[in-house]
Amino acid sequence: MAVDKKFAGYLCTGCGIGERLDAKQLTMVATREGKMASCKSHPMLCSAEGVQLIRDDVAAGNATHVMIAACSRRAKMEAFNFTDIAMSRANLREGVIWLRPEGDEHQETTQEMADDYVRMACAEVRFMTVPSGSGEQSLNRNLLVVGNGVTAMASALEAAKAGYGVHLVCDEGVLGGVYKDLYKRVPFRAAPPGVSNARTAPLPQPEEPGIAEMIAEVQANPRISVHLNAKVTKTSGAPGRFSADISTESGGTVTENIGAIVQATDYKPYDAKRLPEFAYGKTPDVVTNFEMEKLAKAANGGPLKRPSDGKEVKAVAFIQCAGQRSEQEGHLPYCSGFCCTESIKQAMYFKAQNPDCDATVLFDDLRTPGAAGEDFYRAGQQAQVTFSKGKASEVVVEGGKLTVKFKDLILNEDTAMECDLVVLATGQVPNTGPDPYAQLAVDEAPTEEEKEAARRALAVAPPSILNLDYRQGTDLPQLKHGFVDSHFICFPYETRRTGIYAAGPVRRPMDMKQAIDDAAGATLKAIQAAENAALGAGAHPRVGDLSYPTFRKEGCTQCKRCTVECPFGAINEDEQKYPQFNEARCRRCGTCMGACPVRVISFENYSIETVGQQIKAVDVPDEFSEKPRLLVLACENDAYPALDMAAQAGGSTISPFARVIPVRCLGSVNLNWITDALNSGYDGIILMGCRRDDDYQCHFVRGSKMAAERLSKVGDTLQQLRLETERVVVYEVAITDVQRVPLLINDMAATVEKIGMSPFKF
Amino acid sequence: MTEVVATNETILVVGGGISGMTAALEAAETGKQVVLVEKRPYLGGRVSQLYKYFPKLCFPTCGLEINQRRARMNPNLRVLTMAEVTGIKGDKGNYTATVKLSPRYVNGNCTACGDCEKAVSAEFDDEYNYGLGKRKGAYLPYRMAMPTQYVIDPRLIGTEEADKAKAACKYDAVDLEMQEETLDFPCGAVIWATGWQPYDAAKIQPYGYDRFPNVITSVEFERLADPQGPTGGKLVRPSDGKEAKKVAFIQCAGSRDRNHLLHCSRICCMASLKQCTYVADAWGAEAEVSVYYIDMRAIDRFEDFYAKVRGIEQVKFIKSKPASVVADKEGNPVVHGVDTEGYKRFADTFDLVVLAVGMEPSVDKDSFPVDIVLNREGFIEADPGNGGVFAAGCASDALDVNRAVQHATGAALRAIQVVNGAAGVEG
Amino acid sequence: MSDLNTAMIERYRTNFLKEVEANVEEGEWVKMCMQCGVCSGSCPLGKFWAHPPQEIFMMIRAGKREEVLSSDSMWMCTSCYNCIVRCPRELPITHIMHGLASYAKRLGLVAANQPTAKFAQLFWNNLMKKGRVNELKLGLALYFMNGFGEGIKIALKKQKLGMNMMKTGRMNPMEILGGHAVKDLSGFQKVIQKAQELEDARIAKHGA
Repeated sequence: MAVDKKFAGYLCTGCGIGERLDAKQLTMVATREGKMASCKSHPMLCSAEGVQLIRDDVAAGNATHVMIAACSRRAKMEAFNFTDIAMSRANLREGVIWLRPEGDEHQETTQEMADDYVRMACAEVRFMTVPSGSGEQSLNRNLLVVGNGVTAMASALEAAKAGYGVHLVCDEGVLGGVYKDLYKRVPFRAAPPGVSNARTAPLPQPEEPGIAEMIAEVQANPRISVHLNAKVTKTSGAPGRFSADISTESGGTVTENIGAIVQATDYKPYDAKRLPEFAYGKTPDVVTNFEMEKLAKAANGGPLKRPSDGKEVKAVAFIQCAGQRSEQEGHLPYCSGFCCTESIKQAMYFKAQNPDCDATVLFDDLRTPGAAGEDFYRAGQQAQVTFSKGKASEVVVEGGKLTVKFKDLILNEDTAMECDLVVLATGQVPNTGPDPYAQLAVDEAPTEEEKEAARRALAVAPPSILNLDYRQGTDLPQLKHGFVDSHFICFPYETRRTGIYAAGPVRRPMDMKQAIDDAAGATLKAIQAAENAALGAGAHPRVGDLSYPTFRKEGCTQCKRCTVECPFGAINEDEQKYPQFNEARCRRCGTCMGACPVRVISFENYSIETVGQQIKAVDVPDEFSEKPRLLVLACENDAYPALDMAAQAGGSTISPFARVIPVRCLGSVNLNWITDALNSGYDGIILMGCRRDDDYQCHFVRGSKMAAERLSKVGDTLQQLRLETERVVVYEVAITDVQRVPLLINDMAATVEKIGMSPFKF
Repeated sequence: MTEVVATNETILVVGGGISGMTAALEAAETGKQVVLVEKRPYLGGRVSQLYKYFPKLCFPTCGLEINQRRARMNPNLRVLTMAEVTGIKGDKGNYTATVKLSPRYVNGNCTACGDCEKAVSAEFDDEYNYGLGKRKGAYLPYRMAMPTQYVIDPRLIGTEEADKAKAACKYDAVDLEMQEETLDFPCGAVIWATGWQPYDAAKIQPYGYDRFPNVITSVEFERLADPQGPTGGKLVRPSDGKEAKKVAFIQCAGSRDRNHLLHCSRICCMASLKQCTYVADAWGAEAEVSVYYIDMRAIDRFEDFYAKVRGIEQVKFIKSKPASVVADKEGNPVVHGVDTEGYKRFADTFDLVVLAVGMEPSVDKDSFPVDIVLNREGFIEADPGNGGVFAAGCASDALDVNRAVQHATGAALRAIQVVNGAAGVEG
Repeated sequence: MSDLNTAMIERYRTNFLKEVEANVEEGEWVKMCMQCGVCSGSCPLGKFWAHPPQEIFMMIRAGKREEVLSSDSMWMCTSCYNCIVRCPRELPITHIMHGLASYAKRLGLVAANQPTAKFAQLFWNNLMKKGRVNELKLGLALYFMNGFGEGIKIALKKQKLGMNMMKTGRMNPMEILGGHAVKDLSGFQKVIQKAQELEDARIAKHGA
């Protein structure tokens, strides 16, 4: 950490900055008001020569804190990429000259805008510290993999192959999980090259399941310790220093130190007892797809017999989407994504054993995606499996006969078929623990009634799997339908509990091949989390960020807002109820900082001061100047780039009175900044964050939502100050809102013109 | 001369689309040295040409912003654009890659000020917009292009236009003397992430893509819907600029078909559902959308999205693979076929027909510079015979973005396993 | 109802699909249909069909034996091959349609006045005589297919066309006297006989 701060400013006069703005004036602002020891100009600061100018000053010990007044912080990032120093950037190109019209009548206000951005960047860098990481943890190359099935085994094997140790915790006496009884598996591959596209071409057939081989491979691997009949009874710590208590078969507990965790607990077969309409439970001749696999395994290639009387099955019906893709109470609303190919495979069991057996698959949409999927559908058709687009409504048992009633959707009629055996293609129910937010709801509910409701919801929740010793609950947060998936299309392994990654059908419904592939991805993320934790570096999306939140204990009022609002459950409470930060669990979004009413939480490179001082640094002219000041706090990932791109596109202009400050997340915005800004005479404040509903786009998951909740109370502040409520607005803004963002700013300028200047100018 | 620092612990990633970027970044963020090679002048690939993602209807540029920041800041990652891998020799843990770099004619001095673009007048079909619009001969491929560096079209070289571009640049960024280069460097493992290309819709003769201007492909429709696209986001049809309010989506256009692609391209059902929302959002109650399908493949949690779109009153679903498309006198495409649910023949007139074209691997079966196990559709199969070469994303199968990224993350681990072995870490 | 028909009903009981697979030319491919409907939409005569091919295939799977075999849909096929060309699963749809027609005829399930069936029989009979089609005789037979009065009417209507064809040498009136045969008529007949034997053997194996 640099004890002796050396401030140096650099002004680029290229890209029209020198022509449009008074460089001398800017230099003076940087040195006189911004307190930079120097401010050098360069006609093209991003050139090798310009960058060298900065590097030389750094090398000579003349610059530890650098203010660069040039283009947007999003531009020339590679050129201005200095490690070991603090840096701020005044956005004069995209932020000022590209968003302001040329012409003498605009010159004064445009220059003032630029002056302010230099003041702000100087203020920011003055209050920054070079982050250095806490050294809270060292490298731990052991992973904890929780799960009993294929996904967990695949994860363990992948980690071991990369040179990492694994504790595999299996809650049963044998490995194999839901696929233990698999007779054959759906082929992993499509037809090889050289196979023609003719209808007679040989196509991949059901293949050996490979489960036993996988179990043997896991057991033989010296890097993998398998804990059978075991459970994780407590998990505490953070990436790089997790501690897991594992109950042993003999009834004892072992404690293992762990770098990161993969939860690969797969799924539970859907409870077919909820399908009385299909006579499940009424006769043993109606089975689920899982039970069908056992039947096939028992027959082992011999005649497939029905459970009730051992008679060889001559006709079998497969009912797809049984209890799935349905809004009916107790059904699964989603598609489990594996049952179509499973049913094709099982129908082929019958055809292989006895070509005269009638095997009919009743489906609505047959879902066999990809190259391997569609080839397998064709293979099923070649095997003479009958596919009927029909919706089954009932299975009637009469004597030894089963009748499946269904609507034939092609012939558009209600009809029925007789058969000896009915197989219900039932779905996957994620094997997850209780949702932490259901747990948190008990604490957070405002009324006793709601608390009670939250308790009731929790009472029927499944038992915990990870038993996390976290302030925000014992397990991974759930996204939808109980799955612990990431919400982000671009980032499928985004996790809300840093260092813990879900793999396989616990994340979203999937088949065996996908689960094996998914295990590799989740394992990589776990390894990455352990490696970065050892460096003290942040995880996605602020990868490599060495800063972490610290707090001033003496100022803390133990209000718990930070521990509740952290989107990643990173903050625990210690015995004295003070927040206990866990650096490696932190994602550096700053939501805790935004939440803290007494401003005691800060990061080294992003703090109450680095933003607060920028707000203060802006020159606020008096009430009669007709120069209002608008503060824009914009999410750096979406709103800020949108404004940049508006500038780049040309054609948009914004009010010269706006001052834009990028924030890591709207969640990091502290109400004190708003109050301070209003008190110091800003006329309007615009907050721009990401979408926060079910389809949220906030890259810190709950940051934007937390901010909105907090800011819903800003009206009270405005009323106390006797200010119009229109002076503060919050918008959801997307990165594509290139045209809209300038308009929102200009709207506020118009509002201020209408309601008048703030009376709080000094 | 371009220099690449690499060893046999370096991971080479071929292809800078979402899968390649992901594999490269995930490996680099695990501390590995990575060289990322991309043929286009910018990263992001086909994802950068999408308006929205299903099922969230969020914007690809949002995630791209994060990925590009990750790429710019990571000291372990070296990006080469306008570069193609022409050869890979050697074995797992010890390869030599040969990369051909095409001249960009613009160097790193470029500040993306746009003066060169203003100086030239020659225009060419805009590849980024699938030829739906024009771009200048000196151009930034699209607004968020990374590297943020202009490109001079090679067709400009040797013309006065090129000299104009050079003269306009204040920063000495235009270098017309730039030559093609060939580089050789070592690497331990290769991630093959060359992605997909839309199936050539003109080959689906009965749908008349090559005959009727108002029959377009799904990828082109993305560009129409995008406010950054050639129509500024207005859904208007190519022939006469008329508002496209009545729109048909034809599924399996080239997929699941022995005359075209045998495989199911997986994404097209969801992409059309997403595009239904574009039409409904644009025209409200005036929108009329028909989706012609064989099976709606809204797999797993995507079912929620299917349910949501089914709830839009203006969207109809017809179980049918249409037989043909013809045009009436006004140029309106007319879709002919049979609704198989209950046998109803139809001849429906639309403003615009969108073909949900399939995905095929962008590298031809016979063009791989390295021995690799493919399936008959040309996708790469995971196989020990591939040595230290691993497929990521759509080079391995028709995948949606989420699954491609998931797959690419796994590919990064497999490459790391090889280079850890090479480094002796794996022991 | 023919004995054969009764025998086949007995033999295959509920499973019409199996009956089709065994007895109808290329019938084993009916199961490859994925019900996309492109054949139905592609048929130029489609609008005259009660049941288009893809629906016929579904009816076969659903065991609608009576309805399929007594339908005149498969008699509507003109062998344009549009359906085969477009079928994404390469079903030999045209062949299956003709196979179904042929099977229905063997079973005696074709309506007595099914015009395509009648024409096909006339064509066959005509062809067998000389190993080539006698167009004049076939034309006349066709005119009189539905009775003498009807025949005269059609003949008068087509009179001008006939005269023109004779004038341009497109039709030789002398062909009415028996007409010329193929070069090796007995060879031709042997080929047909052999084919019939093969077909009979196939039918014997499957029952019909």
